[in-house]
Amino acid sequence: MPAIEAIDLCRAFGAVEALRGVSLAVEAGETHALLGPNGAGKTTLMRILSGLVEPTAGSAYLLDQSVGRSRALRSVLGLVPSGDRSFYLRISGFENLVFFARLHGMRRAAARRRAGEVLAAVRLEDVGRRPVNGYSHGMQKRRSFARALLTEPRVLLVDEATHDLDPVAARQVRDLTTSLAASGTAVLWATQRVEELAGFADRVTVLARGEVRFSGSLGAMTAHARAERHELRLDARAATRWQSLDHALGALGGLDPADGDPGSVLLSLADGVALGAAIAVLADAGAEVQSCREDGPPIERAFLALTSERAS
Amino acid sequence: MSAAAATARQGVAELRKLPAFMRRDLLVLLSYRVAFAADLMHIAVQAILFSFIGKLVDPARLPAYGGTQATYLQFTIIGVVLTLVSALLLQRVATAVRQEQLIGTLEALLATPTAPTTIQAGSVALDLLFIPIRMGALLGVVALTFGLDLSLGGVPPALVVLVAYVPFLWGLGLTSAAAIVTFRRGTGALAAGMGIVGIVSGAFFPLSLLPSWLQGVAEANPVAIALEAIREALIGGAGWGAIGPEALVMLPASVLSLLVGVTAFRWALAREHRRGTLGLY
Repeated sequence: MPAIEAIDLCRAFGAVEALRGVSLAVEAGETHALLGPNGAGKTTLMRILSGLVEPTAGSAYLLDQSVGRSRALRSVLGLVPSGDRSFYLRISGFENLVFFARLHGMRRAAARRRAGEVLAAVRLEDVGRRPVNGYSHGMQKRRSFARALLTEPRVLLVDEATHDLDPVAARQVRDLTTSLAASGTAVLWATQRVEELAGFADRVTVLARGEVRFSGSLGAMTAHARAERHELRLDARAATRWQSLDHALGALGGLDPADGDPGSVLLSLADGVALGAAIAVLADAGAEVQSCREDGPPIERAFLALTSERAS
Repeated sequence: MSAAAATARQGVAELRKLPAFMRRDLLVLLSYRVAFAADLMHIAVQAILFSFIGKLVDPARLPAYGGTQATYLQFTIIGVVLTLVSALLLQRVATAVRQEQLIGTLEALLATPTAPTTIQAGSVALDLLFIPIRMGALLGVVALTFGLDLSLGGVPPALVVLVAYVPFLWGLGLTSAAAIVTFRRGTGALAAGMGIVGIVSGAFFPLSLLPSWLQGVAEANPVAIALEAIREALIGGAGWGAIGPEALVMLPASVLSLLVGVTAFRWALAREHRRGTLGLY
């Protein structure tokens, strides 16, 4: 029995279909990444699973119980929302946590004890008595985690936890999640950061435009990588006239400027076009290709391939 | 365990959460200390204003309570305080959930095993208790400062009337809250409604000055009934026997108002939930 199960979920907001027949299953103790670009439907799925939004069609289950508006289920659910604005800014982190613990039914003494424990777990005990409006992004995210830990949840939904964190803070948040999963919690981790999944997620579901494009292991996902984008270093004169070179390529592919390097361009190949053929055309057009390398690691290329328009 | 026992147990569990909301709001309130001074200033200004206006008013045109002829300042200051209590409570009840929506905490609250009605009640619990106490204390200060002869013996009956009156306001506030959650606006309509209620409540002038067709409406206005009962208690020193009927009249109005308010509010939240727009502002 999966701890988290979505079956054929659909959700429309007016004319916009945010989710279209999304299914996934997460087992107890598994860290399952929900990967997708902005607007893929990740947050909508999280909100349906946490009972905050009703699906237009399909079913969602946590621990084999229909999510609906069941209040009992919320006692076993930890939710880390994507934003920072889910706390009372003028009171301390500790008092915020005591308040939320009491909403989970704890008596005051138990709530205070638990708030102290979870603050220590996220290493915020030193600043726990400070009003939360003085917390940094990283501290706010850890505080959100602390709240999700209050009830020792059997299901943890994490939405874009590392979106704007520095690498150290992001690592801390991932480590917390890993230790929770090791204790048997099912974790669904929504993210758009491909690079954080290796060594962290057990399985991954790729969502794009409200549809599941892939679901399986990271290894299986990497097999979808296509070496279709290459970073080319050109001679200085050619790099400045990349638009005319793009025109010369015609149906073979396209050129775009590379971020942060005026001497490089990104070459995208059309399906079935050999890299050599494209480089030959560029050379005929007067460009000197000084170096060439595949753009991005395999998992990132797999993500781009799976979420591209052609994959839909 | 029977279904009734389970429901009762759940109800008690929900009630136990109210002190947590009150503590949260007390901590937030303590971080905004200026608000208390602003209320004091507001009432002081009104008291000074009406003490001068009172010099123009012939006391014979004001009603007598328990054989005591009211002065204009006695008459209006009770109206000012009750109007302020009503406005503050109504505004607070109507906007409490909206406020949670705006600061981004509503979905975090709803993600806990807490009923939406508990969240609403909890978010105003401190105000329901604290605003009447605060305003009563301010009324006492004004009475002492301006030498108003208010009856101490009338204070307990006046409080009973207030207790019967607060659920009426709460119900109105919940209906407004339902409109605000649904339309994301409505405080303007709320203020306009309060203005109309204020005119036909006799807060600032006797109802006998209204046109006769409006007097009938005004006399059935729960705000006017509460106001007159409180005046009878505080100015005329009316005891339980005289105040009881007014408090009893308030009860059906309060029950009806609460029922309509709770139903509207639950409907509005369920609608937002279905639409998936509860967290949007």
